[in-house]
Amino acid sequence: MKATIERATLLRCLSHVQSVVERRNTIPILSNVLIDADAGGSLKVMATDLDLQVTENMAAASVEMPGAITVSAHLLFDIARKLPEGSQVSLETADNRMAVKAGRSRFSLPTLPRDDFPVIVEGDLPTSFELPAKTLAELIDRTRFAISTEETRYYLNGIFLHVSDEDQPVLRAAATDGHRLARFTLPRPDGAEGMPDVIVPRKAVAELRKLLEESLDANVQIDLSASKIRFTMGGEGGVVLTSKLIDGTFPDYSRVIPTGNDKLLRIDPRSFYEAVDRVATIATEKTRAVKMSLETDKVTLSVSSPDNGTAAEELAADYGSDGFEIGFNANYLKDILGQIDGDTAELHLADAGAPTLIRKDDKSQALYVLMPMRV
Amino acid sequence: MDHENPQSDAAEPANDGHSLEEESSGLRKIIHVDMDAFFASVEQRDNPELRGKPVAVGGAGGRGVVAAASYEARKFGVRSAMPSVTAKRLCPDLIFCKSHFETYREVSQQIRAIFRHFTPHVEPLSLDEAYLDVSDDLRGIGSATRIAQLIRKRIQEETQLTASAGVSYNKFLAKLASDQNKPDGLCVIRPGEGAAFVAALPVRRFHGIGPKGAEKMARLGIETGADLAAKDIKFLRSNFGSFADYLFRAARGIDLRPVRANRIRKSVGGERTFNEDISSGAALRDTLERIVDIVWERIENAKAEGRTITLKMKFNDFTQVTRARSLPRNVTDKDEFRSIGRALLEEMLPLPMPIRLMGLTLSNLAGSNTDGSGEKAAGPGRDVAQLSLL
Repeated sequence: MKATIERATLLRCLSHVQSVVERRNTIPILSNVLIDADAGGSLKVMATDLDLQVTENMAAASVEMPGAITVSAHLLFDIARKLPEGSQVSLETADNRMAVKAGRSRFSLPTLPRDDFPVIVEGDLPTSFELPAKTLAELIDRTRFAISTEETRYYLNGIFLHVSDEDQPVLRAAATDGHRLARFTLPRPDGAEGMPDVIVPRKAVAELRKLLEESLDANVQIDLSASKIRFTMGGEGGVVLTSKLIDGTFPDYSRVIPTGNDKLLRIDPRSFYEAVDRVATIATEKTRAVKMSLETDKVTLSVSSPDNGTAAEELAADYGSDGFEIGFNANYLKDILGQIDGDTAELHLADAGAPTLIRKDDKSQALYVLMPMRV
Repeated sequence: MDHENPQSDAAEPANDGHSLEEESSGLRKIIHVDMDAFFASVEQRDNPELRGKPVAVGGAGGRGVVAAASYEARKFGVRSAMPSVTAKRLCPDLIFCKSHFETYREVSQQIRAIFRHFTPHVEPLSLDEAYLDVSDDLRGIGSATRIAQLIRKRIQEETQLTASAGVSYNKFLAKLASDQNKPDGLCVIRPGEGAAFVAALPVRRFHGIGPKGAEKMARLGIETGADLAAKDIKFLRSNFGSFADYLFRAARGIDLRPVRANRIRKSVGGERTFNEDISSGAALRDTLERIVDIVWERIENAKAEGRTITLKMKFNDFTQVTRARSLPRNVTDKDEFRSIGRALLEEMLPLPMPIRLMGLTLSNLAGSNTDGSGEKAAGPGRDVAQLSLL
């Protein structure tokens, strides 16, 4: 293989794929990226961790000799980063090495054969639909914070996607760690009808979100089966992310969404967020709980810690039901409030031991459920 | 058939009613499923002539022991782990049959597959019993009791065997419950009922209290759970040492141990009881050789790596001694395993008296937690104060 490519193109492409590659690998080839130069003048770069793979096509300045090889992802990325701006990078393989040349710099890197590079077998992906990248990005932003990191509950380690027939057909995304739940709803895109319920793993979600950032104005093509999902950004010659799906059953979460909470609190999410953040300064790792005392048109936040003393703050709010007290994990509350833009957030409460429903209003696509803490 | 040690992984009990409160929130839903007279039932299923008759699985002669007894045999007082000779005396018509471990294992796989249909949080205790944490109702079935019913139904349909199940909010109570209505029974201990249930129970029914323990308790005036609950922690500690914390909690129906889906194996080993006691060096070395073969195969099957080898001998007066040696690294191969076992044996020769049992174990396994603190990581993040959605 011999090809020449602009440093900026190479760098952008490697930055997309290299974060898929784990820093520590027991299987050497998983540290490498596959570089495949075709006679048509394009270069395909691919990285994998066996569960997730990202492929990007980039235009080469020239391909002198087609061929494919694998080389350390992080080494090549670090080299590309440090090469002078505007330089042309030549990649050439010979004798199990890859020579990287740019200006006066010369590198010779060890390689592994392309045939050893594992490629995820996608199989048949019968469900296909498109979503605007912006919508997909919002879906991720609104839900990913609630993904569980607890490995024993692996079926919660991702975003659950499913279609449902409510008043009108919808596509829903949900994530929960057992303490809070985030759900995002959008009209069902054409082609998504009959799709299997899937759980997209956390790492795939994170990589996808990064890739979306660069093409927010375009559409994303999504193809999936019950075991694999593929996201194609930028059409032909763009970036393709393929991931295995989590093989597990996501809990029937609809039953934990309260429907009869009759105490309604309306409050400015930003000032609420800031107040929670301020009083939580006192909270230690052990007592992350913030106590909320609700009275007519007033909320008092308080925290007390055996080590750090106490804190309290009063906030104006719109509240007309009976007064009571309820506790929440300050971070969980902030995570949710941080998702709500606009001047008002609605908190639908029942009592100090029951799930609280939080949303912007009854039209918002995003909905959150937060379980209280006993305080 | 349950070899777990209930005291080893329990949390420190509170000295007031606080821990009661933690438990009474009833956040968890635990099911204990136990097959009824498992080995014997499998034999009766596969051999119709045995149905309705007193059956014992195990060796009939010499030093054979009953591995399992059918309910018909239990009426005569035949129990598992009882010497076969005693069993035969209690029940002269007792039919002994050989064990078929391959079949038991197959059935065990079947029932575990059924458990996993309902939850990934399955902690098998042996081939025929397991704890399930169904706090997350993954199939949306609605209640743990309903899940237990479905499991029992499916076991019956798929294996033609019966199982009993106990449903409660912790492992200790779930296990007591599964024992309550045996065979083919179901018992539910709901939040708030645990302490009362335990109070009425003879202490012998408590997991971890055997005949000797019960005897000692009787001497101290403790017959029931209520008697035990009346003793304070100081009294229990001075009489039962490290077992006290477990007893204190058990008497109140409290047990915070999580269901551990991936129990970390702490050792791999095996032992043999001989038909006749042995003492000669040559016979001992021969025996060791056979045990090395068996144990090393198990080590390979388990892909275990460990660095401590322990040789155990039980003398014909039932006293036992162990000798252990630890390497700075893992034992690498069978030859090394054998030669260390051999060295441990040579150190103990000549024996003061003949032995009836020899055993060899590899422990200090790579990846296992010797201090037992694996607990914290395994707990499904259930903060005491943070309430759970699922």
